[in-house]
Amino acid sequence: MPLLKIDDLEIEVKNGTTVLEAALENGIDIPYYCYHPALEIVGSCRMCLVQVEGMPKLQVSCNTFVGEVPPERKVDGNFDMVVQTQNDLVIQERKNILEFLLLNHPLDCPVCDQAGECYLQDYSFKFGNAHSRFDEDKRVRPNEYLGSQIVINHNRCILCSRCTRFTREISGTSELFVDERGYSSKIAALEDRPLNNLLAGNVADICPVGALLSTDYVHKNRIWNLQKKSSVCQDCSVGCNIDAFYQKRKIFRLNPRENQDVNGYFMCDIGRYGFHRFEDLERVTRPLFKSNGIFSEISWDTAIEKIGDKFNGAEEKVAGVLSPFHTNETNFMLGRFIKGIIGTFPHIEDEEITYPSGFRISSDRSPNKRGMHDVCPSIVDDLASEINDKEIRVIYILDNEIDKEIDETWNKILTKMDFIVVQAYAMTRLAKSAHLILPGLAPFEREGTITNDQGRVQWLRSVLPNNGESRPDWEILNLLYKTGERFSDINELMKGMGEQFPSYSGMTFFKLGDQGLPLNGNLKT
Amino acid sequence: MNAFKPVLTEHIHQKDCHTLPFYKSVGGYKALEKVLAMQPDAVIQEVKESNLRGRGGAGFSTGVKWGFIPKDSDQPKYLINNADESEPGTFKDRLLMNKTPHQMLEGMIIASYAINCNTAFIYIRGEFYKEYQLLKKTLAEAYQANLLGQGIFGSDYNLEVVIHRGAGAYICGEETGLIESLEGKRGWPRIKPPFPAIEGYLHCPTVVNNVETLACLPHIINHGADWFKSIGSEKGPGPRLFCVSGTVNNPGVFEEPMGISLKELIFDRAGGIPENKQLKAVFPGGSSSAILTAEEALDVKMDFEDLVEKKSMLGSAGVIVMDETVDMVQACLNIARFYAHESCGQCTPCREGTAWLVKMLTRIVNGQGKPDDIDMLYEITDNIGGRIDFSKGSFGKTICPFGEAVAWPVRSFVEKFENEFRSYIQQVEAVA
Repeated sequence: MPLLKIDDLEIEVKNGTTVLEAALENGIDIPYYCYHPALEIVGSCRMCLVQVEGMPKLQVSCNTFVGEVPPERKVDGNFDMVVQTQNDLVIQERKNILEFLLLNHPLDCPVCDQAGECYLQDYSFKFGNAHSRFDEDKRVRPNEYLGSQIVINHNRCILCSRCTRFTREISGTSELFVDERGYSSKIAALEDRPLNNLLAGNVADICPVGALLSTDYVHKNRIWNLQKKSSVCQDCSVGCNIDAFYQKRKIFRLNPRENQDVNGYFMCDIGRYGFHRFEDLERVTRPLFKSNGIFSEISWDTAIEKIGDKFNGAEEKVAGVLSPFHTNETNFMLGRFIKGIIGTFPHIEDEEITYPSGFRISSDRSPNKRGMHDVCPSIVDDLASEINDKEIRVIYILDNEIDKEIDETWNKILTKMDFIVVQAYAMTRLAKSAHLILPGLAPFEREGTITNDQGRVQWLRSVLPNNGESRPDWEILNLLYKTGERFSDINELMKGMGEQFPSYSGMTFFKLGDQGLPLNGNLKT
Repeated sequence: MNAFKPVLTEHIHQKDCHTLPFYKSVGGYKALEKVLAMQPDAVIQEVKESNLRGRGGAGFSTGVKWGFIPKDSDQPKYLINNADESEPGTFKDRLLMNKTPHQMLEGMIIASYAINCNTAFIYIRGEFYKEYQLLKKTLAEAYQANLLGQGIFGSDYNLEVVIHRGAGAYICGEETGLIESLEGKRGWPRIKPPFPAIEGYLHCPTVVNNVETLACLPHIINHGADWFKSIGSEKGPGPRLFCVSGTVNNPGVFEEPMGISLKELIFDRAGGIPENKQLKAVFPGGSSSAILTAEEALDVKMDFEDLVEKKSMLGSAGVIVMDETVDMVQACLNIARFYAHESCGQCTPCREGTAWLVKMLTRIVNGQGKPDDIDMLYEITDNIGGRIDFSKGSFGKTICPFGEAVAWPVRSFVEKFENEFRSYIQQVEAVA
């Protein structure tokens, strides 16, 4: 392997690694704008210039490849390449490039959404000049909509061309291009093809400055007010890794988080903006019992007692409705508890989309169908007819996708039931049909594991705090067990689940980490 | 020197010199016949030995460039004839295409054969519409005579030639910008490596040669590398078309051996300066070469080495002459404006810097200059194109040499005619 000396660091790198990659992997900060690991290298921002021994000009580190050289060409008889990233020449050049980039920049950080996570701001602070030497008029252009949810502030744009490369290489939709030339260059969308593809939101993420903005987030908050938690998108069976940005009980933004085994660097707009549908729901935060058609609040103890009254002695006649929207743990708990039959509402399929880059939006818009089946193997194919055949009169239901769960058939089934328990976080149509509602957690409050359609188990982390007396869904089901049979915490539960389903054995949140693990036995190692 | 007989332009004044019958009557396509009997490697060797250096501007050895084409690659190879002549003050390729298109075409076929290419392109400047029409006829004649197409001259060598018109961007004369444009993309030069010889047109090995370079090839084959080397300067030999324009009595294209003195070119061939005015400055190699003062100009030989010694370059050999009446600050603005307009906008220093220069120079010309502006002009040009250090090579800071092409001439104006810039600025101070 080639030996690279970068500043004082001597490292062996893979043949063909770029200097920039090697530096970033080893904690050396080389500033860059146009480079993005998922996109073609263009080397146009000139920000990542470094000095390479033996080369007369500074070289862009994003396009300088380290390879093995013959012994007689090794530097100091030892190194295949020697690079300086911090010397005066390099630092001065960064200053120069930043000066150019800021000439026409409006310096409107106080009202810019990117402020606080802006590479132009950060590098200017680190390397730039305190004062501008530019005495001329700035180039000023009005903002424009590139698509229904993406706005461009041309004045902040540094023309790194990441966004145009994204639509060409990742989404393959090619809506964006650089219009005009030279100093007049600007990012534009084709007149007859606005930026409305389902990956459009990513361009705002990859924009290194505050030029491309998602209308969903613009001027809503400041990044330093928000807290961030890593989690997993729950809007299809791909399970894109995300970072959720929230303040108190409100999510403001979801961003994709890198996971090369799942989503690469990106996510789709279905998942990105999907969190809004949980926002204006009427929440259920206490156990509710319906009498004479009216719900009234009861205590947890009373609620559990009522379930005992209905279930005890009739266990074989109770049906459980699992949910592909819930975690493995919750489904496992219900599947294990129900002695009658278990199944699900009819599955809703949507359009499957695969982009040229391989990025996929699954037709299965639930996050955990695979996991649910893994930990509840006795799921029946057609729950509706089984319920009729077996004359089931008591049913325990986990909430599903809001207001999409029950069709005509199920409406009829539910009206025939003597007792319906729904574990739900909101007063949905389904919840309203219940005799007893047990307040569980909303999707962004849940914690547990989910398994994507490729068999990768991922850690769904809770982002928002619980509401009122609502409890984690697995814990509610835990209460249904006799005292001695309960799990003391979710880790015990996972252990128990692993004992019953060996492909899940040995799984802990710690092991899954923020990247998850494939099934097929790897969890044990 | 006076004994020099034009090589490339020998017949341009004769009737029908652009036709195939005429070209054949003066020995045309004899070189091709000879080449087809040679091994491609032998052709490359001959051209290498002739020390032919590219006539487009960079002056890179043509044979060496061909030698970079991988021999073991089974990808198709491409030759592109760069006829996008756009450098201000340069109009030699246009003449060659107008008068002796078959000479250029024969060169193309020879080059294509040498690099084992079966599809070649002529990328012609969009504005050269008449030449485009003429070249279409030239190609038709060549196909008819089996100089192109399948089994050329009864050999088993095939070659198709396609003409592609540019859309009017200067930057598409830069070879990778040209390739992008030819692929139907925006004319943004590519980052190197990979170089076109490895990954060019459609990611295949590609050679881009200038019209005049290609026109030299039949003569090298006919008369041999030694003959070629015997013409003009040793390190960059051969005949060269010098385009002389500006304030001269007899502007035009003059074919002379490499190394002719600039003085002779201006005062003899181009007939000197009208009304016996004083020479003030000269661009020796198109407007992207650093300008020479009269003193420097009268003491320079027009070859690669001597001009580099004068911290300029031979470039496209477009000689632009300026007499004493030329206002150097306005001329500098004119040049800067051209380059700001033509910058592709890809690299930060060039996109932003060229426009900054124009804004600043406009302000100076409009009488609003400031004392600091002179230093700023030095710094900005350095930051775009890098400081010129000829002992270490160029210090360019951009993907393509466009940055240098604007920075060096502008810097040279300020450096060599600083007093004129100062007087513009001092006028302001006097008023204030």
